[in-house]
Amino acid sequence: MLPSRRAPIVTQVVVYKVGSADETFGHTGIAHFLEHMMFKGTPTVGPGEFSRIVARNGGRENAFTDFDVTGYHQTIAADRLELVMRMEADRMANLQIVEKELTPERLVVLEERRQRIDNVPSSLLDEASREQLFGLHKPYGMPVSGYVEDVKKYGPDDLMAFYKQHYTPNNAVLIVAGDTNGEAVRKLAERYYGPLASRPVEARRRPSEGGNSLPQRVVRADPRVAETRWSRDYLAPSLRLGLKEGETRHAYPLAVLARVLGGSETSRLWRSLVLDRKVALSASAGYSGASLGLSSFGFDAQPAAGGGVPEIESALADEIKKLLDNGVTPEEVEGAQNRMLAQAIYAQDSLASGPRQYSAVLSTGGTVADVDAGPARIAAVTPADVLAAARDVLREDRAVTSVLTPVEK
Amino acid sequence: MIARPIGRRLFAALTGALCLALPLAQAWAVDIEEVTTPLGLKAWLVEDHSVPIVTLAFSFDGGTASEPQGSKGVTSMMALLLTDGAGTFDAQAFKRREEEAEVSLGFGASLDRVSGSLSVLTANRDEGFELLRLAMTEPRFDPEMIEQRRAQATSSLNQSEQRPATIAARAMMSTVFAGHPYAPDVEGVRAGLKALTQEGLKARAATLLSRTGLVMSAVGDIDKAELARQIDRAFGSLPAGPAQAAVPQWTPEIKRRTIVIEKPSPQSSVQIALPGIARNDPDWYAAFVMNHILGGSGLGSRLSTEVREKRGLTYGVTSGLRLFRKAALMVISTASANDKVAEAVTLIHGEMARLRSDLVTPEELADAKTYLSGALPVSLDSSGSVANLLYSMKVDDLPRDHLDKRPALIGAVTAEDVRRVAKRLLRDDNAVTVVVGKPVGISAEP
Repeated sequence: MLPSRRAPIVTQVVVYKVGSADETFGHTGIAHFLEHMMFKGTPTVGPGEFSRIVARNGGRENAFTDFDVTGYHQTIAADRLELVMRMEADRMANLQIVEKELTPERLVVLEERRQRIDNVPSSLLDEASREQLFGLHKPYGMPVSGYVEDVKKYGPDDLMAFYKQHYTPNNAVLIVAGDTNGEAVRKLAERYYGPLASRPVEARRRPSEGGNSLPQRVVRADPRVAETRWSRDYLAPSLRLGLKEGETRHAYPLAVLARVLGGSETSRLWRSLVLDRKVALSASAGYSGASLGLSSFGFDAQPAAGGGVPEIESALADEIKKLLDNGVTPEEVEGAQNRMLAQAIYAQDSLASGPRQYSAVLSTGGTVADVDAGPARIAAVTPADVLAAARDVLREDRAVTSVLTPVEK
Repeated sequence: MIARPIGRRLFAALTGALCLALPLAQAWAVDIEEVTTPLGLKAWLVEDHSVPIVTLAFSFDGGTASEPQGSKGVTSMMALLLTDGAGTFDAQAFKRREEEAEVSLGFGASLDRVSGSLSVLTANRDEGFELLRLAMTEPRFDPEMIEQRRAQATSSLNQSEQRPATIAARAMMSTVFAGHPYAPDVEGVRAGLKALTQEGLKARAATLLSRTGLVMSAVGDIDKAELARQIDRAFGSLPAGPAQAAVPQWTPEIKRRTIVIEKPSPQSSVQIALPGIARNDPDWYAAFVMNHILGGSGLGSRLSTEVREKRGLTYGVTSGLRLFRKAALMVISTASANDKVAEAVTLIHGEMARLRSDLVTPEELADAKTYLSGALPVSLDSSGSVANLLYSMKVDDLPRDHLDKRPALIGAVTAEDVRRVAKRLLRDDNAVTVVVGKPVGISAEP
């Protein structure tokens, strides 16, 4: 429960500790398809009615599926919290999946894939790169939306089996933010979620290794692309899992490193690739530790007219060598830390950001204490920690390089 | 870099049936104060001290539509380059100051205006407003930064010409606004970017960054006196120039047209544009309700029910009312597999016809009204969203007590009003349809 008094509105978030990475090859896309079907009715709330009732009460709502988590959220006037809690609890236990609703929704799911993946060359490249980085047919190497041939074959029983297996109160996290209090939320939660039967849930597994033939290079030439994009991703530990024992200690230092190397236009990569050598139009680095299994540390750059992929790779190699030889300065680390901590203050300004942060950590094996300790753990990172993390992670045998190019005419 | 969650839909969900809703609690206590500074500048303010942040949203009169021939693209570049170095601080030094003070400052251009926003922690308020002053009054437009931004803008222009949805939106605007300054001019922008000079950028800044036509709103941890002081510091030394030359009023051509642009994609993107309705039109609220019922907010609307929920022809279909200073449009957009897009377009016209001929049901009307009255307060979940609301009210020339009056204005709309405004707006003989992809069963109709 995250109280905020500034407006009489509340946000309810329910996340299930299940995502596409809990699927197996040949059975992909179920978590996402089920997310769609969660709006298709229970014995007391008809198909599509969940959304209509929330809207009729002036609320907004949506849902999402990711590799490790599936989430549902509503924002509504504070006096309607009970309504959305009652309905969310209802579909946690009483979902009905019938052929008549499933058939058109399958087409919607396939249309969503066309719109988000097939129509977007960079998304197609991402899928191919993930297969290499995390391994073909491995949990993070398969698309969240699933393979089309899988999605085409599911019937109500397949989705219902997955629902029964994973949608149970002991596998869910409830987060309420806004104008209410812990006691009120507890009372409502006990009333609506309390009576629902718990079922044992299988332990979640994620491999502690990536693709088996790294390094790899994935190139996609696409007639729909006008400008070349280059990226490189390294297998990295998350807050929960590393490739080796003890690697999770690198998670916070890697977040700091991403800032120092490529978090803004004053970062090392931007200054080197864009300003000094003028081989790139943009350059950045990114990392997130919120993952149940392995994560990745990524670089992204767009070649300038006067440069090409080789020039980018050579400039990056020089920057990585400089980093591994000399490390980062205390000033760089402090600057990155300050920016990350200030973001935490800005996050308080939005009702959505608190639940987002907690749900990401709680659904990937973390605790409330982990979220609360985040700022202190960021503040504790030293230049030596950053260097140690960089040395373990920025290695050729962990990398997939991806290039998206126009088709040569 | 990879990985991102996927969602059930691109748009927020909505709409209704069955029972009548209860009255809704007023959400954010939007108590708008008017601030007039010692130098005579005006702003609206919502004070809120719960988080130590101040957000300022503002804009200047005049945008990309008033660019002279030969310098297309200069306005956006000028807006972007304002934060690329100012006074004695080059781009790197300026950005380092922004980062050290955790200030978020940015400018952008639309057809009618150049807008900006500032977010700053209370502790760094002076530094935030000082950086804002520097950016607006002493921008450097260093040649090196001009080169960098020119290359980036040219590249993103090239890339944008490859995206089906962007191509469709641009072709729609080119067709409906042919001959009017609102028509996009990609080749003009490309040439304008090539011809961009420091003098041209300075001249554009001098023309547009003026106290005349400046609109401002602020939200957050600041009181009236302090806001007045900071505004005068940041904006006080801008010139009070002459009013901007007005863009001519757009007059729609009444003609049904279909444009097909072949692209190698598995899905066709569709835009259907109709002449819209002005914000001050007596039927605005009727159109607002009608649009919501047709396809205003995604799931649950008539379009979504027919095209998505019943038949699975699309992941999303929406309609929207678009306002420009001298024009208004109603635009319906969707995307559907190449071999199904014709059916989707036919269904859309069927729903347009149904709203013209039949009255909406009392349930639909009531649900639309409670949603439209209630959703606005619920959307005010951050100081940025409140600042943007205030700002758009000012741009639309709405009174300070508008939020109090709004529920009654929505509540007064009748089913007859909805049908009348549907007859007026949803005319097939007015529709400009653009389809980008490899559509089956749709042919051009010039």
